[in-house]
Amino acid sequence: MTDRLDPRGVRFAAAVTTVVLAIVLLTGSGVLAALQALVFAVPVVAGMRWSPYGALYRVLIAPRLGPPSDREDAAPVRFSQAVGLLFTVVAAVGYLSGATALGIVATAFALAAAFLNAAFGFCLGCEVYGLLARVRTAR
Amino acid sequence: MLVVVLVVATAIGLVLQRRAGRVRASTAPSTAPGWDLAGVGPGTDDRVLLLQLSSPICTPCDRTREQLTALADEHDGLRHVDVDIAERPEVARALHVMRTPTTVAFDRHGTELLRVGGVPRRADLLAALPLEETR
Repeated sequence: MTDRLDPRGVRFAAAVTTVVLAIVLLTGSGVLAALQALVFAVPVVAGMRWSPYGALYRVLIAPRLGPPSDREDAAPVRFSQAVGLLFTVVAAVGYLSGATALGIVATAFALAAAFLNAAFGFCLGCEVYGLLARVRTAR
Repeated sequence: MLVVVLVVATAIGLVLQRRAGRVRASTAPSTAPGWDLAGVGPGTDDRVLLLQLSSPICTPCDRTREQLTALADEHDGLRHVDVDIAERPEVARALHVMRTPTTVAFDRHGTELLRVGGVPRRADLLAALPLEETR
């Protein structure tokens, strides 16, 4: 688990995720939300090496760019995929079961997080870690 | 709906980007004992403690650690201690820290001087610290 990732690939994957979730929000497609959940689930279970959007980046984009000047740790990225998985599963269940409001809210949160990552390099886990730790220790 | 989400997310992103790494002077400093929390006492020449609070899954924490380690190496009287709040949540509680990385600076007597959320802006942080102009 000492994988190192090209940060540009991580941002690319977040950008693709943003587009997919935007389409989910526009069309209300539970099937597409479920497909995105699957895309999140693969690297969470098997490791970042198996990320579908990461593979897309390596095949289509990385050969056109130079080697990365920096590499980032895979563990935080994998964690963010797990958070994305949680939200998109809720979204898919919401849309497919007719609880459309739930689908919209979950998609909106997942979309906002993916967009913040793609556009600003935002680290959700870092922003709320202290908060989560406090909730955990309070119980 | 799509437009609303993107506009809100952009606004949040811009606010976070403006705040990230900015040095904030502690006007109402906590009374938490910084040196004790860091688990070190001020050495004879130590003037300032930079207490960094990190979490395990956190790329900006790594970048902050690299920067502050170098800073402490370059400046006499500057100590840098990094604490993982997953292992020591009481440190985050004592200092009321919600996000990582957060860096809290204390003077020799344990008075809180300033805080930085995110990767510090090096020049701003140096300018704000009461370090002697040696070397």
